[in-house]
Formats: sequence, structure tokens, C-alpha cells
Amino acid sequence: MREDNPNQVPRIGVFVCECGANIGNVVNIPEVVENAKKLPGVSFVERDVSLCSSAGVKHVKDAISKNGVDRVVFAACSIKNYGSLLEAACEAAGVNKYLISFANIREQCAWAHYGSPKGATRKAINLVGMAVARVQKSEPLKDLELEVEPSTLIIGGGISGMTAALCLANQGFRVFLVEKEPELGGMLNKLYKLYLTNQSVSEVLSPIIEGVTSHRNIKLFTSASLKEVEGHFGDFEITVSANGGIEKFRVGTIILATGAKVFEPSGMYGYGDKEGIVTQLELEQILKQEKLKRPGKVAMIQCVGARGEEGVPYCSRICCMVAVKNATLIKRLYPDCEVYIIYRDLQTYGKENEEYHAKARELGIRFIEYTPENRPEIIPNGNGKLRVRVYHALLGETLNVDSDLVVLSTPLIQHKGGEEISKMLKVPLGSDGFFREAYMEMQSVALGVNGIYVCGAAQGPKSIDESITQAYAAAAQAASPMLLKRVKIPAITAEVDEERCIGCQLCMDVCPFHAVIFEEGKSMIIEAVCRGCGNCAAGCPSRAISMKGFKDEQILAEVQAAFKGE
Amino acid sequence: MNESEGDKEFEPKILAFTCNWSSYSSADQAGVSRIGYPPNVQIIRVMCSGRVDPLFVVDAFLNGADGVLIAACHPNYCRYDSGNRYAKTRTKFLKMLMEEVGIEPARLRIEWISALEGRKFVEVIQEMVKELKELGPLLAENDGRKSV
Amino acid sequence: MENVGSVTVIGGGVAGIQAALELAKLGMLVYLVEEKPSIGGRIIELNCSSCQLEVPMDCSICPVIPKMVECHNHSNIRLLTKTHVTGFSGAVGNFVLSVLKQPRFVHEDRCTGCGACAEKCPVEVFDAFNMVQGKKKAIYFPVPQAFPQIPVIDKENCVHFRNGNCKKCSEVCPTHAIDFSDEDMKIGIESDAVVLATGLSLYDPAAIREYGYKRYKNVITILDLEQMTSIHGLTGGRVVRISDQKKPRRIAFIQCVGSRSRRTGNNFCSGVCCLYTAKDAALVKMLLPETEVYVFYIDLRVFGKGYQELLNKVRNDLGVKYIRGRPGGIWEDPKTKDLIISYENTLIRRAEKLRVDMVVLSPALLPHPSNQKLAEILGLEVDEDGFFKSPNPVASPCDTTLEGVFTCGYCRGPRGIAESATQASAAAARVAETIALTKSRRVKR
Repeated sequence: MREDNPNQVPRIGVFVCECGANIGNVVNIPEVVENAKKLPGVSFVERDVSLCSSAGVKHVKDAISKNGVDRVVFAACSIKNYGSLLEAACEAAGVNKYLISFANIREQCAWAHYGSPKGATRKAINLVGMAVARVQKSEPLKDLELEVEPSTLIIGGGISGMTAALCLANQGFRVFLVEKEPELGGMLNKLYKLYLTNQSVSEVLSPIIEGVTSHRNIKLFTSASLKEVEGHFGDFEITVSANGGIEKFRVGTIILATGAKVFEPSGMYGYGDKEGIVTQLELEQILKQEKLKRPGKVAMIQCVGARGEEGVPYCSRICCMVAVKNATLIKRLYPDCEVYIIYRDLQTYGKENEEYHAKARELGIRFIEYTPENRPEIIPNGNGKLRVRVYHALLGETLNVDSDLVVLSTPLIQHKGGEEISKMLKVPLGSDGFFREAYMEMQSVALGVNGIYVCGAAQGPKSIDESITQAYAAAAQAASPMLLKRVKIPAITAEVDEERCIGCQLCMDVCPFHAVIFEEGKSMIIEAVCRGCGNCAAGCPSRAISMKGFKDEQILAEVQAAFKGE
Repeated sequence: MNESEGDKEFEPKILAFTCNWSSYSSADQAGVSRIGYPPNVQIIRVMCSGRVDPLFVVDAFLNGADGVLIAACHPNYCRYDSGNRYAKTRTKFLKMLMEEVGIEPARLRIEWISALEGRKFVEVIQEMVKELKELGPLLAENDGRKSV
Repeated sequence: MENVGSVTVIGGGVAGIQAALELAKLGMLVYLVEEKPSIGGRIIELNCSSCQLEVPMDCSICPVIPKMVECHNHSNIRLLTKTHVTGFSGAVGNFVLSVLKQPRFVHEDRCTGCGACAEKCPVEVFDAFNMVQGKKKAIYFPVPQAFPQIPVIDKENCVHFRNGNCKKCSEVCPTHAIDFSDEDMKIGIESDAVVLATGLSLYDPAAIREYGYKRYKNVITILDLEQMTSIHGLTGGRVVRISDQKKPRRIAFIQCVGSRSRRTGNNFCSGVCCLYTAKDAALVKMLLPETEVYVFYIDLRVFGKGYQELLNKVRNDLGVKYIRGRPGGIWEDPKTKDLIISYENTLIRRAEKLRVDMVVLSPALLPHPSNQKLAEILGLEVDEDGFFKSPNPVASPCDTTLEGVFTCGYCRGPRGIAESATQASAAAARVAETIALTKSRRVKR
């Protein structure tokens, strides 16, 4: 890396790409070249037919070496296309990639202003001027190379946590699995059978518990709680209380698999007041313990405490399938019994769910649609049954289902343990209470904090297979930095000038990633956590924060060169 | 666009701060689709609209910009969680400040433009050009102030 | 770093791209095989901008574009476009795939995407797929949002291939990227594992004659609408009636077209149409605030994160009217080309008619038609609809009936973009795990 001329006049090389004739047939390239040559600091300017081709890339490397250039400007197509390719070419030739600047003279110039060649040319000249002015103020920067411990902490020993644990352990990573209950299994321990296959929970759970408890790469803590998490991506220091003592260890990544709990519909539909009204989860227990007496009629009410003003506003995804499953199990146990599912919109999405639903209808399970304006009610009926009165929206009739058992389908919600983890790890929860994924990651396991991933119901209600899938996804995301034992954090991070810092802590308030800490009256930014948005720098009242790669000086240079000579 | 030499009509200059994840790409998309718009706008790329320091806006006005656009991600869609929210607040206060010192607040605009809204980017530029033509140039010619 | 293993990913859409990137980051050498001329799949044909609705959800179209760039540039990924699988043998850890790469007649490493060739090409061809975009040349860019933008020659319509008389594209290409001598290439790939990500296709609603698709000009599919609202579309983003280019004053969306239907044989629910129909209905309403927008549905599928919130916003704030009922038929007024929809509003049990200017159909999303053939070549199972089967859909959602071959995305069952991407990462984890276990098994022996 060429860092030998920090105080000397920069030698800027400018490459103007013609992109075939694409740019040149609107923008007057010779004029752009001529003007570029006159700019201060520019030591040579070259035209190229196509910088992105392998010949073009080679030419760039040769030209840099030949001309002893230490900063580069590319006047070409959008940085989004070949930015990384050209940066790599420059680094190979000894120019730090942060000493490069791009002028977009194709998409944002020639292609945009094809009707105004003079205006486009003027703009292109200024675009190059801006890029040159910017790169003059740039500094060579080094991406932060974080060492990553090839071990992971998995919080939660349910199906998601265990799946991720086994997957990573099988790849040779050390896994610390922390579970607050005495036994592994999480929510599945409370379930009876699983839908789609109607297999018993133990068929799915036993092999995986066996795998987790016997794997030499997995250190298991049960009846344990997470006490403290310090450090950052690559080097988290974990403190766990377990086995009557305190254990400390280091990990590179963390996977949250803290699950969810079932909403208790206290006061809704007489739950808690009357006998014979249970939640689906309680029904699972009854079925598991074979305590269900032959009912005449069973009514299941969907969306209790969900999709509305009472309870939570969202749909909990799985409750319709859970109801269909439990209805199926009851019908198989007691074929003469009548089972009604009173629903709003049946969430039997996809193919396998629809097939399962179709089979349930074939068994004779009845489906009654209601609308939120006309919710079902449980009214007294005198003969000891629970009269469920419902206006059947499709028949246009009010029906009375005199039931022996009423089952309320309630949503999954975040539980206190998840909230505590959110605070401890400084990982935000969404408005629905579940862990909020990082945006723009194209999937749901990455969180806003580097090195922490989420899977299973902790991220939002989902089925078993969806939880398993997400657990594998989290394992994949955690595995890659651990495989390389290092990760590169781009150098675009904020930096505090202690002398200027007045200790107002505005930066701390503004930073959504908790990358700012306060020590001895001054703010300090943890590079490994900083994501480079620059909000702190923009808001600092004493101009104490510098945004590497997007410093005030760099941006102001562009601002001042934007309309030069117009 | 009328490109005759010696055209005396005022062509406003707009400086646009675009964010890397959304509006910068929308400007690219506008180019790819070849819908065409006037070359009055110069674009500066930042990682997040929240990076836009009020100082940059002021400096822009002092260096030839007749109008400034901050193009950010839609609410709830900022890659850095809330940068666009801060950009909006800063814009609000900047407009108040502009009014105090006698610069028309309409010269500063903040818009939500996602990566695939190239058309919106173009429409906003066209609107701003029209408005700024009516407002006239910000600085009279030969104004000495050139930097902060 | 030496490659941990070698994997072939079949299918270059959202799932395939995500799987390829995840595998590349896990140290694998990845061959990404895509039958179309570009990667990006169905998703880059869409317009999106659902973030305009400001409801926090996992939107996934914008991030795909930089991921396509990453795939193209990644040192561990080899892109093979216009390529499909012809043969297969071996077992996990030792698969051999035979693939056929068909010629595109353009050197991929020389082309800059400048478009001069397409400009000069004298042949115009009706673009049957994209009825809204209309025309393309014999040398054309398949999808405006694809990366990299490299054209392909449509041999059947190219004059050069018919009588050797035209070389206009080649003459005008500044980097000499056109190569008429390009031929089929047979390639053998050795892989430790395979990931299937063949994605989806759209049911052709023309088969439901009473809806008038392809007979009535103002009946279009939702994909046509996406392309119409795209800046790359024929109207540059404006929503207009095809018959007279006028703004529609009343639009109806019909969901579940060909879906959840014993008649068409597609019994299943495609999972995502309720969401994207709501999104498109909302975007139309935002583009044309005076226009009345109706959505005909059967069951509202609101199971995903943010779906209910989006639907509330669409119905309550934006005033899109939802009618529960599958329309029986659509008639066209021959003079005005307006459409009259006949339906039963099942919540009030009344048969009614609605006159609209435009109808948008949300057709069933089907697994890719090539899945059956691919399953035969690979020796694994598909179900009667063409989805790849898993040995246990609950416990092994990513696996197929063949060890070492995994699935992700729509080819396994209806799912949305975010879930497909998650599955892709999951498949990558399964591959890494399997390779590690296979290796340790070998060592033990």
C-alpha cells in the first residue's frame, strides 16, 4: 500500500471512460479531458473505451504504476456497477481504495441529459472537478480487521436454538448454548403433535436433543441465565450464571433464539371465569395427557387478542393451522364429535397447509366465518353448555353452537426474557414486540448490531419448519465470519476529536447502534459497532466528530466545486 | 431543452444530496430509463441522509446553488434506522433559519425517494427547476462570498 | 483461502443469488447455473417501491440489485447464464453435473452494456412476454434492471442467422463483443452438493376464458401492471388503459386467478398474492388518487410481518375497497372497452355487477415447469404440482429426497421473497454442515 507521500502534493490520475460511444455521443469527452488536466493536483488524464473490461482494468493498473499516481478519479458509470472492481484494481496497483473518487458521467449525466449535450458536458466537467476536489481531501484508510473467535453463544434451547447449535457444532465451531429452563425443548415441550405430519413432538425433538447433549463441540448450560454481555462482534465477553456459579467465556457471534410465549386472553370470551374455556396451548396439554373427555361439540375461536384493538394488531401466522391440527386430532379421537372453527380469514397459506386444511374439511370439521364487526359471543344457555353465538358471515345467519369445550386461538407475543435480552444486547424490538431485523439485508436473521443474529419465534410467530429454516440461516450467517476467523469492517466509521468534544452526549442520543460510549467526560466511538451513517457527525455542535471517508472537508470540497465556473 | 447559444433565461442550479441506498440509485434508474431531465442538478452521494450537516446546505447556497434537495429513504426504511428522521428535523430547523436570514425556505426541499423511484426523482427535479425559475437566482452576480 | 468445497446452485433468482453468496462466503466454489440470459429471476421484473407505504416490512427488491453485482464480482462464484442441466450422476460429495450453455453471441467480458447494438438492429420483434413493453430488437437486453446489462441475440429473428446479410450490431460495437460464431458449450461440473432454486412461473390466466385475458385489452395481469408502473415500461410509469391510453377511473384487482381451484388443478394458495395485490392496489391509488380501486378476494392472507398493518393502511387510510367473492365472469363493452364484472359479494350474499375501466388479475404462482424434468435427471421426487419434495416437511424443510441436494425458495413451496432468501441461507448452512459431516465420515473410515 502506497502511503509514502502523506505530506506531498497529491498526484491524481483521472480516467475518463467513454463506455463505448455511450457517454461520448452526448458528453464532449475531449473537453472534459482538457478541463480535467487543468485541475490542481491532477498529474495525468486518460481516456478509455471501457474501464470495466478486463483490458480496461489492466490498463488502469498499468497507468497507475507508470505515472506514480497516488489518488484516482474515475469518470465513468455509476459507482454501483463496478466500484468494487475498480477499487480492487487500484489497491492491486498500490493505491488505497479510500483515495479514489467517482464521477457518474453516464447514468447521472450522459444518459440523463441526452437532449442537452452542452449542459451535459458542462455538468460532466464539474462532476470531474467535484471528484478531484474531494479526493484531494481524502485520507488513506484501513478497513478494520476484527478477529473473530470461532465460537458462538446461542441464547435459548428450543428447536431454533438447538438446530443452529447442531449445525454450527457439526461444522467444527464451539457452541455455548444457554437455556433458562432445566430441560431443552422450549415451546415444543408443551406441544402434543405437529401439523403437516401429525407426528408427535418427541419424534422431532428427541433426536435433536440427543444430538445437542452428546455433541463434543456444544457446551450446554441449563437452568442458566445470561448475566452480562460485553465487547463486540468477534470478541464478545459473556457472563452466565449456571450450576450455582458464574461462568465466563468469549465468543465471536451471538444467536438469539429466545422464542415467544402465548398470549393469555384474560377476560376475553369468559376465559378464566368460566369452566371449559381454554387456549390452544392448554388444549395441547389436555390432549397430551389424554384428559379430553368425549365432547359433543367443540368450538374454536380464531384471532382472540389478535388483528385488532384488543391484544396485538398483527396476525400470529400459525394459529389457524394449530386450530386445524387440534381439530383434526380431536376428530380422529372422537369421530362423532362436532368441531367448529370460527375464523376471520383462514391463514392456511401455501400448499402443504392448504392440503392439510382440505383433509380437515373431509373429516367433517366445520368452518364458520365471522367478521370483526360481528364477533362471536359466549352467552349463558341454561343447560350447562357454553353457547357460542356467532353470525355466520357467509350464510347470513346467526348460529348457536352449544359447546362442551371452547378453545381460544391466541397470538404469540414477546416475553419478558426476550425484552431483557433486547436491553442487555442493545438490540431493538419492533413495534410488534419481536426482534427487529436489519433493513436492507434481504432476509430476516441479521440484526442491526454486527455479529448478532436472530431466529425462530423470537423474530416473529412462525411454524416449526419455518423456525428450523431460520435457525439454519442464522447458522450460515454466523458461520462465515467465524470460518475466516476475521471480518472486515469498512473504514467508514466515525471518530471523535477529544479536544473538541464538549461532552454534551448528543451523539450518544442520536446513534441507533449504541456505538458511542462516554468515558471521562468525552464521547468515544467503538469502531467495531459503528455503521458509518454519519448522524453523529452531522449533529455535533462542536464539530468534534469526523466521519472517515465522508469528512466535512471532503463533502464541502464537492459542494464548492459543484457549480464552479457557472 | 433549449440550448441556443446566448440564451439568457435563468437556469437554476440545484445541489442534491442523495443517500447511497436509495435516492442515488433512483437517479441512476432515471438515467437507465432515458426519460431525460434538465442538467440543472449536481448530485453528491452520502451514506445516509442523516449525514447531511446543515453546514453543507448553507455552503451550497453560498457556492452557487439556487436550491438544495435532500433525497432520503422513506420513513421506516432507513438502513441506519432513523437517519432520515434526523434529516427531516434538521431540514425543518434549517428552513426556519433560512427564513430569518431572508432566503426563501422553498429553496430547500427534503423528499423520500426509494431506489426504484427514478420517475419521482425526475419529477422532483423538474418541479424544483420550475419553482426556482420563479424565485430567481439566490445570489446576485459578482457576490464575493464563496466559502464558509 | 482454499475452497472448502464446490457447490452448484441451479437457478439464479432471489433464492439462487442469496444461496450463491452465502456459500461463497462460507468458502465454497459456487457454480450458479441460470437458464435465462441474466440472473435476477422474477424479482427484477417487478417495480416495487412498497416502501412508499411506510409500513415497516422486509422489502427485498432493492437489496437484490447490489447482490446481483456482488454475485457477478465475487471471486468464488462462477456465473453460467443461458445454461441448463442435462445430466447428473454421483452421490453427495461427488456429484457430476452435465450442463449445456447456449450461445448468447456476445462476449460477456467485453460488453459494456452501452446499447449501441440494440439501437442499430433493424429487426423489431413483438415481446410476447411483456405485453406492456411491446417490442424488442433481435439483439436485446432481457431485463432493464438486470446486472450486468449484457444483450443477447434472438437467433430465430436475427437477420444474420437467416441469410448472413446483416452485421450492424457487430459493426457498431466499440469493444468487438459480438460473436456470431458462439456455439453450444457442454460443461461438466464436479460438486459436493447441489442447491435447487428454480423459482416460479405464472399461471396463464388466458385459460380462464371468462376473464378475458388476451381477448379484452383492458384485462392485464399484475406482472403487466408492475411493468407498466416501472420507469422502464412503455408508458414510463403511468397507469393507463391499454385500449385508449386513458387514465382508468375505476380499477378492479382479482386475486386467486387459477389458484385454490379444483378446476385448474392448482389447489394451493400462492401465499404472497394478497400482499402484493394490496401493495399494488395501494400504489395505484397513490398514483391516481381520484380512481376507485377494488380488490376481489377469498381469504385475506395476512400472516407475514407487517401484512396486517399494510392491509389496514390500504383499506382504511387509502380507501381501497375489498369485496369477498370470486367473480364469475367479465364482459367487455364493445364500444368503450370497459369491463363489467359479475360476482357474488359473499359477505352480503348478493349477486352484483361492477363496471370498471381496467381489471388486474393476480394469477396463481406455479413452480417452474422444468422441475419435473430436473427431478428426473437428478433422481429425486417432485409432487403432483411440481414442487420438490422433502423427506419430512417439518423437521427437514431444506432437504430433498436425495442426500446432498437441497432446495430453497418457491420450488419447494409457495413463499415470499424474504422467506426464499432465508431458505437460501438455510440451504447454504445445510450444505456446509453436510460437507463437514461427509468429510469427517471419510476421515473416520
